[in-house]
Order: sequence, then C-alpha cells, then structure tokens
Amino acid sequence: MPDAENFEPKIVAFLCNWCSYAGADLAGISRLHYPPSIRVIRVPCSGRVDPFFILQALQQGADGVLVSGCHPGDCHYLTGNFVARRRFAVLNDLLQFCGIEPGRVTFAWVSASEGERFAKLVTEVTEKVKKLGPNRKLKKELP
Amino acid sequence: MDRSEKLRQRARELLEKKEVVMVIGFGPPSDSGISPVLFATTPEEAENLTASTSCAQNLANYLLKVRDRGRVAVVARGCDARSITVLLQENQLKRENLHILGIGCEGVIENGRKSTACAVCRHPNPTIYDELIGEPVPAPEPDPEILKADQEFEQLSPDERWERLSAELDRCIRCYACRQVCPNCYCPVCFVDASMPQLLGRTHNLSDNMVYHIIRALHMAGRCVECGACHRACPVGIDLMRFNRRVAKTVRERFGCDAGTDLNQAPALTGFKPDDPQEFIQ
Amino acid sequence: MKPRIITRKQLSELLDRLAQEVCLYAPVRDRTGTSWAKISRADEVCLEAVNTVEPAKGFVFPRCEVLLRFDPQGNPVEPEPPPEQVVFGIRPCDARGIAFLVKFYTQEGRTDPYVKARRQKTTLIGVACSRTAPTCFCLGVGGSPQGSEGLDLLLVDLGDELLAEPVTDKGEKLVADLPAAGEKHLTAAAEQKKKVEAEISLRIDTGRLRELLPGLYESGVWQALALTCVNCGACTFLCPTCHCFDVTDETIRGRTVRCRVWDSCQFTLYSRHASGHNPRLDPASRYRNRIMDKFYYTVEQAGMVSCVGCGRCIISCPAGIDIRQTVRKVQDAK
Repeated sequence: MPDAENFEPKIVAFLCNWCSYAGADLAGISRLHYPPSIRVIRVPCSGRVDPFFILQALQQGADGVLVSGCHPGDCHYLTGNFVARRRFAVLNDLLQFCGIEPGRVTFAWVSASEGERFAKLVTEVTEKVKKLGPNRKLKKELP
Repeated sequence: MDRSEKLRQRARELLEKKEVVMVIGFGPPSDSGISPVLFATTPEEAENLTASTSCAQNLANYLLKVRDRGRVAVVARGCDARSITVLLQENQLKRENLHILGIGCEGVIENGRKSTACAVCRHPNPTIYDELIGEPVPAPEPDPEILKADQEFEQLSPDERWERLSAELDRCIRCYACRQVCPNCYCPVCFVDASMPQLLGRTHNLSDNMVYHIIRALHMAGRCVECGACHRACPVGIDLMRFNRRVAKTVRERFGCDAGTDLNQAPALTGFKPDDPQEFIQ
Repeated sequence: MKPRIITRKQLSELLDRLAQEVCLYAPVRDRTGTSWAKISRADEVCLEAVNTVEPAKGFVFPRCEVLLRFDPQGNPVEPEPPPEQVVFGIRPCDARGIAFLVKFYTQEGRTDPYVKARRQKTTLIGVACSRTAPTCFCLGVGGSPQGSEGLDLLLVDLGDELLAEPVTDKGEKLVADLPAAGEKHLTAAAEQKKKVEAEISLRIDTGRLRELLPGLYESGVWQALALTCVNCGACTFLCPTCHCFDVTDETIRGRTVRCRVWDSCQFTLYSRHASGHNPRLDPASRYRNRIMDKFYYTVEQAGMVSCVGCGRCIISCPAGIDIRQTVRKVQDAK
C-alpha cells in the first residue's frame, strides 16, 4: 500500500470534446506543466456523462473523478451542459450524503481557450485527492 | 354512507354501465397484514373493495400492467395520484383511459405503526382525480423523530455516514423488490439486468450494492413521489426512504419541483433553467 | 439414538464451547426481527421470533459461492475449502429446506460438490417450534413443528430443560454424555407438539396438486393470478428450497473470480437465451414456473415438494400474495 507521502492518485477525467478536451490540448501545446495523474476519456458532451460512469470509475479503483464541459451557454449542442448540470447537482448531493468525501468527484467548466485554467484545475484536483488519500469507499473488492 | 361503501357503489356503477373494464383497488388484508391489490371486472367482484389503507403498494404500478385493456378505474390516494401524474407526463399512460377515484389517505399501517413514508406525508390527498370519494383528509404533522434522525444523520462525518449506510446496504440481497414495486421504475431493461455488456456486478459485494442504490435513487430524482412502496417491500428492512427523502429534498430545494404535483410542470431532471445554482461546479 | 435431556446451563456451556472451536451461527436480534450471525457467546442467541427473516439455506448454498479464482497471470486458483460450522437454532422447516437442497444436489450422477462439501462440514442443531405465526403451514406440506428431517440434533424446549433428540452421529456426539430423557419429558414434548400442530390450520393437498398441475399448463388461471405479482425475487431468495443459480465471471484490476450467485425464475434475465430469445417473457409464465416447480417439477426430479411451509414468501411478498390461496385457486381452476 502506498504511504501518504508517495501516494500518486489516479484520476479519471471525462472531458467534453468541444471545450474541455480542446482546453487540455491547448495546455499541452502551450507546454504547461500539470501532474500526470489524469486519465482522459473524451466524451461528446458533458451531457453524455451518465452518473454511472463516475461511480464505475470509482468502483474500478480510480482515486478521483473530474468531469468537465463547456461553460453554460457555450454548449456545442446548446443545452447539453444545462441538463447535465441538474443531474450532477443531484449526484453531488447524494454522494456527499452517502459519505463520499467532498473533492473525490469534481465538476468544472473549462473552455477551449482556457489551457492555463485546465492545467491549474488538474493541479488543484490532484492536490485535493492526494490529501484525501486512496479511494477505499466505492472501490470494488471481489468476494 | 362510509367511504368504503361509497367506493364499492361507484365501482359497481362504473362496471355496470361499462364505463370501465376494470376497477383497481384494495382488497381485504391477507395473513401478512398486507392487502393484495384487487382487480374487479364485474360488479360482484367490486364487493370486496375497501377504502382501508392496509395496501402497501402504489396502485399506479398496476396501471402499466393493464394499460392495453381499455379504460380502467383506479383508486388513488395522494401518492398513487402523483405517480399517475408522473406516468402521464412521461407518456406511459393515456388520461382518457383512466378514471381516477380519488380518496384521502390516512397512511399505511405496517406492523402496528404508520409506515415511515406516511409518517412524513405531505400529500395525503390526490392531486389529480375524476371524482373524490369522501372528504379530503388533513395532512399529518410530520413525525418529529424521523426529521430529527435525518438531521442527526446529516451532521455525522462523511466516514460515519458511509459506515452507517454500508452496514445497511450490505444486507441487500438484490431481489429487486424495491424496483419492481415502483411505478416509476419501468425501463424495459434495467441497468442491473444489462448483460451485453454487463454494467453492474452480480456477486455479493458492498460496492455493487451501493452503486445499485445510488443509481436507483438518481433515476428517481424528480420522479419519486415518496410513497414508500419500495421501503415497505424490502424483505430485509433496508431504510430506503432515507435515500428517497434526501433526493426529493435536493430536487425541491434546488429546482423547486415536487414530483407529480403538477401535470404541467415537467419532471425536474428533464429540463433546466439557465440560472440553476451551480456552486458545486468549479 | 436415545433422546437425552439438557439443562439451559449445559446448553449455554455447549454453545460457548462450540463458539471457541468452530464457526457458530445462530439467530440474533436485529431491527427487522432475527437474522443469522456468527456468534461468540451463548447469550447472543435470540430464539424469540417464530423464524429468522432469511432462511438458513445459505449455510449449504450461499448467495455467492466462489468457484474459481484467477491470478493476474490468468492461472486458476482453487478457492479455500468451506469452514467447519455449527448452526444453532434452526427451525424444522428450514432444516427440511436444507434436506431438500442436499437431496436435490446430491442425486446419482449429478452431485454438486459445493453443496455436498458444505453440508459435510456443517452441523445443524434445530430448535422445535413452541409457537407459530399465522403464515406457518409446515403441516400442510409434510413437515412438523418438531420435525427432525435434515437436522443433526433436535432440541425441544420444555421450560427449564430441553429434550435433545440426536438424529445423526454428529448430533449424538454433542450430547453423548448427557442423561437419557425420562417418560415425563417425552410426554411433555408430545403434548407440546399436539398443541402447536393444532395452531396450524391451512393445509395443501400436494398429492392432488401433482396430478393437477401438468394439465393446467395452458390454463388461464396463471394470467389471473400473476396480475397481482410484481415479479420481484423476494419470495424466491427468501425461500428455503429455491435453488437456482447463475454463474458469473467478474474481473477487476487484473483479478478474476468465477462465482455462482442466487438467481430467481421471476427475473426476465433468468430465462433469456444467448440469442436474445426469451421463452418466459410474459410475467404470468414466470409466475407459473414458480408454482409448477414447487409442486410438480421437483417432485418429479427429486421426489419431494419444494415447499416447506415456512411462510416467508407470504411475509415478504410486497403484493400480499399468499401461496396457500394461490394453491387453492389452482386446485379450483378448470
């Protein structure tokens, strides 16, 4: 088991194709540094992110989950992120109610032009998850 | 004339005049104390209908089963009516095929006590009906014990809350009684039954149990009418209303929606407002 | 094997000793009634409820049995053998359920090694019923409140003392040092039996059912009966004799287990073919299968009705269905 000092969290990031994924791309092109903790899954829209995806990432052993899409009003599909926002609000409340630590799952809006913001976000999320330690609660253990 | 007699009389009339092909209501309780649902298709069968509320089920669930049989009358308490409203909003039922016999509800009695859901009932009277049998009943004072327990639970630390819910959900035997009795759980293939690919594990482990119950509660967000049928159906006594109350509260507070109370207001999670609160998003 | 007599104190000592030596399971109080739990001291036992919420079948046929494990290289690893266990406080109906499972799963030419191995490692100490619930009907399906079928040792509570009737050598060993029961003890037990039996009124004519059911396969009665049923799995999962399973492989982070888990004929997935075709898509056909299986198929296959009259399906049914009423309606069907 990794001790707290050397704990390198694994974070699954669901990034929308039109904004956040492009933002991550821009961070790369701009040669910005951020921790190598995230595993990116590109989705067409934040509205495509079923809460089940987030839970399944935690079940499979991810230490944190980041969900990011276009800023409200900027959705490529006009309203995808608005609908997603309601869904995420209920999920976020329920997860905290169940005792999943705040910070284990992060929601954010990052546009295609915000490479710097993306790098900063990943750094912050990684720090937060590092502080929380490995995900033990929803991680699935076989019988 | 008492409510039961009035109900039977109306049921008989509806069946005699062939206005409906069936009346769905409650029969007398069986040895387990629960009233099986009564499907009366003749005036004689309607004789066993009773207004007593030992029926643990949400009758809207059965409307889905008989929706291709023609016009059906259904006895509807507050929660039955709210579920019917949600099903109408989601185009699962046709209003013209329903004759709703509204009835005020005094709560389901379970093991000598008012059922948990009924103890904090906010809508004992039907929100939608064609005729009301008897008088509306006043909403009960919410049971302070339940409200206090909820408050205490939310004040626990995340770890303590997780421990409590883990102990509770580890007992889940995944019989899916909670899903089957829910009128608003009607997907042709539930995500737990998807097998190509398999979405949720089938072995006994806490993680899968938790995910099942979290996703179930999420799927019910803005649609759950807090009737408590799932809570009463659970054979191992898991406190499912704890989840349902929390989700319904979130939806009420954040989006101002109360499931099934207004036929013209779309279910909360199918719509949005551009200025919905988003304090949790970075 | 001679019936013996055991005092409450001696029984406590016996349980305390067993808890030290092996895994000892007994009914303990919980929020919904009593449930099975591993105990470490005799005073944790609670026999006040007529029966536990869940049956005892899990001791020989667990909800999730690991058949194989694979290491990250993909090599199979044999799972650990079942533990030596003693189950105390099992009621005669549940013991009959286990007797059925063992009979069903250890037939000539098709023996299930897992159930067999678990039963061999298990000692069942039953406690006869001194009272009944309105949902009890063991007498109607060939059981008895003092039945010993499936048990290793049966105890009958006579107040300060208990009558201990060994059924197998395993049971005999536990009480071999105790004094033999006298005439008054046997009379007291017989009287209790008579009293409790008188409380159970509803009976089912299972012999007639077996003759009737094959002719009722196409009957319209199932549609009418199944209308109330919501097709959940509560009745089958809580049934002491329901014995269907599914085998599932699950892999996570490189490790794999092959498990068999309880399955229920009430689920649509249960009968779905690999092609996607489902011969039992209609809820009524699933309802029919359950009744047919209990009173006809298993009689043909294992020579025993697979209903022990514990009443759990009646108690647990969210729709308030009573299997005794179902049987009555089936018997009256044309």
